[in-house]
Amino acid sequence: MSEGFSMRRVRALLGKDLLDLRKNRGLVYSMLALPSVIVVVPIGIIMTYVKQPENPSLRMMALYYDFTVNADNAARFLVDKVLADWFVLYLVMPVFVPILISSHAVAGEKEKRTLEPLLAAPITPLELVIGKSLASLIPALAVCLVAFIGLCIGVDVVAWPLAKQLVLPNGMWLFGVFVISPLFAFFGNGVAVLISANVGDSRMAQQLAGLVVMPLVGLAAGQFGGFLHSGTGYYALIGLAVLAMDLAILFIAPRLFDRERLMTRWG
Amino acid sequence: MSAEGSAVTTARGIFVEGLEKRFGTRTAVEHLSFEVKPGEVFGLLGPNGAGKTTTVRMLTGLLRPSAGRAVVCGEELPALDNGVRLRKKVGLLTEHPGVYDRLTARENLLFFIRLHELDERTAWALAEGYLERFGLSGREDEPVGGYSKGMRQKLAIVRTLVHEPKVIFLDEPTSGLDPQSARTVRDAVAELANQGRTLVLCSHNLAEVERLCTRVAVVKNRLRAVSSLSDLRREGLALEVVLETDEGRFGAAVRALPFSPSVVADGNRLTVTLSTEAQAPDVVEALVKAGARIHAVMRAARPLEEAYLELVREEDES
Repeated sequence: MSEGFSMRRVRALLGKDLLDLRKNRGLVYSMLALPSVIVVVPIGIIMTYVKQPENPSLRMMALYYDFTVNADNAARFLVDKVLADWFVLYLVMPVFVPILISSHAVAGEKEKRTLEPLLAAPITPLELVIGKSLASLIPALAVCLVAFIGLCIGVDVVAWPLAKQLVLPNGMWLFGVFVISPLFAFFGNGVAVLISANVGDSRMAQQLAGLVVMPLVGLAAGQFGGFLHSGTGYYALIGLAVLAMDLAILFIAPRLFDRERLMTRWG
Repeated sequence: MSAEGSAVTTARGIFVEGLEKRFGTRTAVEHLSFEVKPGEVFGLLGPNGAGKTTTVRMLTGLLRPSAGRAVVCGEELPALDNGVRLRKKVGLLTEHPGVYDRLTARENLLFFIRLHELDERTAWALAEGYLERFGLSGREDEPVGGYSKGMRQKLAIVRTLVHEPKVIFLDEPTSGLDPQSARTVRDAVAELANQGRTLVLCSHNLAEVERLCTRVAVVKNRLRAVSSLSDLRREGLALEVVLETDEGRFGAAVRALPFSPSVVADGNRLTVTLSTEAQAPDVVEALVKAGARIHAVMRAARPLEEAYLELVREEDES
């Protein structure tokens, strides 16, 4: 007779990791630093557009991106353009926050020498992966959602004099936040868990896993340079690519997250 | 081992047969066979890197044996179910306490109680009893990060016992403890054995092993000996000399003999390990020449340390 999967054990691990995270102020502050920047910067940019909608420079910028733009609507065009392009940087958040948490939660067990007692408890590797992943995904997605709400409120407040209507949330952002963002969070967490399981300390795990945000920075550069045109279809394509990578992680993770492998590499 | 004995051992004790563990081309443990009876306190001795921890990790389902088999608490190894059932029945005190610093002792223990899927109220009542016994009562709601090394070790011991394991593996249980706490732990070990629990003690503290264990296995990658303590010590020849006074020069005089015997001094008593009985008069003569007044000379069991060092050295020399 074999012992099956136990949700109770997953909940125990999830509860412990969330409690530990809550008490880790340093990690909580570093988790909140990135969302603050992601929320504040676009609000600041939009504020500058709204303050001087007639500024000829804005017209020049709008024409650079789209020469069919009506000069009178340049500021509004740029507000929409910033929001569409900014989503790719928002996506850094669901990737990076789980990396921060997971690398601490997984490699941290090794650093604190708590891994062996944990592995000696009746928990299966699958329960361990799920528990650790949920402990990283739940706070990460919560942070992303709160940041999105903050962004909507901030953008709508500063853009109101120009737009006279709510510019956020719009369809693209809702699709992005509720569909694409969880896919990215899953990816960031998966990469961090796999890397953490194979390197010695949480800092190295963070640094290596952090490299996965580089393609997003590259996409952002392409968008702001006018080479790539963002929009719902564009982000859906990126989402599909990430979904494929998520499936690959699901396939690889159980093979790499093996009790003996963890013990011999970490123990 | 009789068939009946095997059945009892495999149900509540440990039975190991030809156990091996290889990491790539390196063999950590080779063809290990021994048996630990229920209620026995069994010592696993060996130098650093001898394979003690690897053996314990195999017997707790943390590592898969490369060859051989073992039965722990009725659970066959290698386990087919991820070892979950085995780990519900065994307790492992690891070399390092491995407690969560930011959590309190209560939170640490409740986490493991939940992992073992125990009734929280009953298990916590048991944990409280152990906390009281180990002097941690009243400190259970403090973050463990503020605990001393000894307190962390005691908390780890409580964590090991909280699910009432039938077989308990203790790796250096009194490491970092003050003499009084070490005594409490030793008393607890003896009590657990009296309750019929099977205990395996990995330790470098031979005095502790002598006090607690009934039998020991000496391991250095493979089994060097498995025997009762009295048999292990009897296998060598030693002389106990009671002197009138306690002076270091007497021990030095014996050590200076041409056959360089090993001498352990305990107050005015010297225990001298010999290779042959014919060396005994030389020891007495050396002491008399050094000015010692001898009250008694007795044949004695050699110290465990001597027996252990000889076993560990034997094969290296050959």
